Amino acid sequence: MYEPLFPWALAWLAPFVAAAIMAFGMLLKVRDERFYGYLSVISILVSALVSSQAALRVFSEKKPLYSGGDFVWVPWLNVTLGTYFDGLSSVMALVVSWVSLLIAIYSTKYMEGDWGYGRYFTFFTFFVGSMMLLVLADNLVLMFIGWEGTGLASYALIGHWYTDEEEKWVGRPGRYALGFPMFFEPSHSGLRAILFTRVGDIALLVGMAVLFLTAGTFNIVELAQEVPSWMGELSAKGILSLTLAIFSLGMLAKSAQFPFHEWLVTAMTGPTPVSALIHAATMVKAGIYLFLRFVPIVMAGALAIGAAGELYPYFLFMAAIGAITAFALATMALVSDELKLILAYSTASQIGYMFLGAASVGLLVGSLGPKLIAEGVVAGMSHLASHAVFKAALFLVAGWLIHAAHSRFMDQMGGFAGLMKLTAIAFWLAGLSLIGLPPLSGFFSKELVIHTALSASPIIGGLAILTAAFTAAYTVRAILRTMHLPPQAGKREGHEAPATMLAPYLVLALASLALGLGWPYLARVYSDMALLTLSLNASYIPEVALSGTAAAVVGLVLLAAAVVFAHYYLRPAATSALLGSLKPVYDFLYDRWYINSLLYALFKNNGWRLASFFVTVDEGIDYTYHSGMPFTGGWLANLLRSLHKGATNYYMALYAASIVALILLMVILAG
Amino acid sequence: MELPLPLLWLSVLLPVLLAALGSLSQGILRFSVILSALLFLLPGLLGLYYVGYLDAQQLRDPFTIGLKEYSLGSFSLLLDGLSLPVTLGISLVTALVALYSLKYMEHRIDELRREGKQVPGMGGYFVLYNAFSSSMLGMVLSSNLIQFFVFLEISLLTSFALIAYYGYGDRMRIALMYFVWTHVGGALFLAGTLFYGINAGSFDVLLETGYNRAFLEVGAEGIFALAPLLILLGLLVKMAVFGVHMWLPYAHAEAPTPISALLSPNLIGIAGYAIARFGLSLFPSFMKGAADFLFLLALLTIVYGAFVALKQNDFKRFLAYSSISQMGYLLLGISTLTAFGLAGAMLHYLSHAIGKAALFMVAGVFITELRGLRDMNKMGGLARVYPAMAAASLLGFMHLVGMPPTVGMWGELLILLGVVQAFNPLTPWSLLALSIALVLSFLMTAVYSFYAMRKIFFGAPKMGGGEEMDSFKGSVLLIAALGLLLFLLGGLLVPPAQGAVELLLEALR
Repeated sequence: MYEPLFPWALAWLAPFVAAAIMAFGMLLKVRDERFYGYLSVISILVSALVSSQAALRVFSEKKPLYSGGDFVWVPWLNVTLGTYFDGLSSVMALVVSWVSLLIAIYSTKYMEGDWGYGRYFTFFTFFVGSMMLLVLADNLVLMFIGWEGTGLASYALIGHWYTDEEEKWVGRPGRYALGFPMFFEPSHSGLRAILFTRVGDIALLVGMAVLFLTAGTFNIVELAQEVPSWMGELSAKGILSLTLAIFSLGMLAKSAQFPFHEWLVTAMTGPTPVSALIHAATMVKAGIYLFLRFVPIVMAGALAIGAAGELYPYFLFMAAIGAITAFALATMALVSDELKLILAYSTASQIGYMFLGAASVGLLVGSLGPKLIAEGVVAGMSHLASHAVFKAALFLVAGWLIHAAHSRFMDQMGGFAGLMKLTAIAFWLAGLSLIGLPPLSGFFSKELVIHTALSASPIIGGLAILTAAFTAAYTVRAILRTMHLPPQAGKREGHEAPATMLAPYLVLALASLALGLGWPYLARVYSDMALLTLSLNASYIPEVALSGTAAAVVGLVLLAAAVVFAHYYLRPAATSALLGSLKPVYDFLYDRWYINSLLYALFKNNGWRLASFFVTVDEGIDYTYHSGMPFTGGWLANLLRSLHKGATNYYMALYAASIVALILLMVILAG
Repeated sequence: MELPLPLLWLSVLLPVLLAALGSLSQGILRFSVILSALLFLLPGLLGLYYVGYLDAQQLRDPFTIGLKEYSLGSFSLLLDGLSLPVTLGISLVTALVALYSLKYMEHRIDELRREGKQVPGMGGYFVLYNAFSSSMLGMVLSSNLIQFFVFLEISLLTSFALIAYYGYGDRMRIALMYFVWTHVGGALFLAGTLFYGINAGSFDVLLETGYNRAFLEVGAEGIFALAPLLILLGLLVKMAVFGVHMWLPYAHAEAPTPISALLSPNLIGIAGYAIARFGLSLFPSFMKGAADFLFLLALLTIVYGAFVALKQNDFKRFLAYSSISQMGYLLLGISTLTAFGLAGAMLHYLSHAIGKAALFMVAGVFITELRGLRDMNKMGGLARVYPAMAAASLLGFMHLVGMPPTVGMWGELLILLGVVQAFNPLTPWSLLALSIALVLSFLMTAVYSFYAMRKIFFGAPKMGGGEEMDSFKGSVLLIAALGLLLFLLGGLLVPPAQGAVELLLEALR
């Protein structure tokens, strides 16, 4: 029943092997950039081709492709080296590998001449391998290895320019909020990223441990098959929702959901292609991917044991976190003046959409059925795919603009539309897709999410719609300021990007148009793929184009865009005056709702206090053992020594007194 | 099964002779060091080669010292699934640190002699070093409590001498402090051992047929019932858990760096191994009673060591506190009394041995090449100057954190499984409390590790220069990279642990 390990494992193994070779290359001090660039691009191409072949097989044979499920690595825990392509993982693997390939090509040019070129591509390629492993693993342990690998690569690449020069920072140097700096060096950002996500990773491990000890397996396919029994057991102990919530903490941290979003925001210190790949298109999607993986399994289980109501708190928690993130981060993007920062806020916000879309379904306890579950998964999956494409394009465009302006701040940018027409077209296409205008792919997937959310809860749906309006506002603002308005500082200069950089983002932007135009077909593909996904056994063909809600949302979005256009393009002076009068609101949003400062005050400051306390305790222990005890010993020795005066009379007296004392003691004890 | 040749005894006894020979002339010293390094590797490699047998069987050395007429049982050396990860850790670290010592100690002895101190030269150093390394191997492979104690004494005396001769700072005072503390632990252990052995009529722990269950049948009354408590206390002092840890930061920070690299991960961890091996097989009901206390002590040790480490400025002292914290993880795994937890603790021993040794060796590279630089506040940006050492340190820290692709992940995963299993059946409150405790304690290693990474290696470089790769730094990188290989071999290392720990836990049921 299992396919052989190869060639399918190459989808994740090829980049790993390439990364290992590159690491040796660095050790042997290979300096040739082509060695790293070619090796990386070729290995990712292998991965993309194998994934495509697998996805085609899955789609044409209408059954999952499972390779190497009998190749046991660690027998005790039954960890296999299985590569599992089903509907969901195929779509994800396609998106990850092909987007990675384009960004790798872009990087070969972008990183040209960088002093860390070899290190960059080693970690970049290692990242792709890890991400593919995460997506395709047939069991949770293997998935976790990929998961941690992406985290490691993310840490290393965020801190790529670890010598911390000021132009590599994120945030306005010198700006403080509640006494905490709001500017971050690359090495600081890397530290934040790995520690914030580590919190979730350990929770995920704890959740995995509970699942394994209950179900007796880490294998995802088996977990899906035996879901009634392990869910029943957890439910009987009353820990079903809690276990899932703990398990999901890892997803929320990885996908930068509130309040973990803080790590993603400052991750923008990494080279821009890294932001595009890791912090927009792929790694931050790992959380939502795992969620989409488990939502159908859990819901099918809930239906089987009649525990849908018990899961309500869990899904409410997930949907609420998603909604809060979507809304909060969109408001922060409204005032930011760093191009990459806007895109980072936007990423976390859009992933919030995916969470709320997929989780909303769980709130419809009464009508929960296979079809509805499919709807939730299709909503999440399609928005994931379309977001990966347009957000990668936006980041790659941003990378070129930052290069052209020699600054990460939008103040220094402006009027680029006339200087680089193709880049402007790509920016607009991808931007409009983000806004969610038809016929771009973002429109369809976002409408699906809003539709699901609205049917689940008016509050969550309302937040989703409001977020859509804000999204339109910040996107149009960013494009206008960089492309069409004159720069506020510095002069207008720049030229079109070289082909190796232009082509990737142009392709991605056009893809988001093509995916939108091809939506009627694509919707069927998604629906078929959903049917081939674990535990999903109903088809759902999304139809959104004609609904009234969709029209209303588009209307609202256009209105928001028009307001921004009117203020920024037509009356810029009046707008700055208006913004000046709103300073407290502006500061609140610019300083990210003070969440960063609050987290630092709560955890960093108190952590240091606790450390100081423990150091004091340690000094006390040290003193007791190494000064107090020797001192007491010396004192006792002196005391005893003082009894020995060397005078015979004195000894005789003492001797007599002792005898008397002894006799008295014996009498007392005997009596 | 029995080995065809007495290879285990050979690798325990021969290196000392080799070093003594090597000390005769400078010419053969290098040769004898390399040969003894290979001998140190032997037990670990044998374990890997015969890994298939180790699941439920012992790998015995054919040579046995029978001391039955003195009522001491018999001294034999053997390897099983429980001791495999520990043995492997000692083998790898002692072998590579021996090569590392060649350059480091030459530098250190020069330095001391220039200060006008009379210290034994390289030959003397290697006699002590090899005796120390061999005694650690001897401890882990011991089948008998008295035998274990004899090796323990040798390790304490040799390491005492190494600190006293070649250490830093106030080294005589610190060596004395180390001596007193470790002998408090040793004396407690010996007292417990004697109470046990006289009562049970034998000091054997492992017979050819398996664990010696004599004591379980005899039972213990009066003063003999103190045996398990004394043994446990003695080992806890040796392990440096919270409360009796204070000697460790001094000794491990001020020992000559190659010795720190053996002391800190290897020697103290053996106490954890001994708690598992002796405690569980000889005194199962006592261990059951002590489990909750050990669990809390472990959590306290982890958190305490980590927080104090965060405030250290001296690189080696920082690593020493980190070792205290890491001993907490070992104890945590053992305190679960589950197969997962125990196997996890042993694998964590291996991972910590590799990771911490690599980190101490990096600290030593800076001491030798950057004029004794140890103050982390004066470091910063060193990755620009020492990229390979930065990579080795990152790998070293990943071993401690338990991040794949290092072997640390297997330990972390198994310990977590063990802890969750120990709390079965879970209730909502216990699950919540457990999750918070685990997130806090497992997060802390990552906090101080990556914080130190940034402090030492990142930021604007404060000095220029380049990294010359030589066998000195090569040994650092090699040991850090070995952890990657062992990660891939997880499939070999984990199953023997399963069989062995289940045998060990039999008495509990």
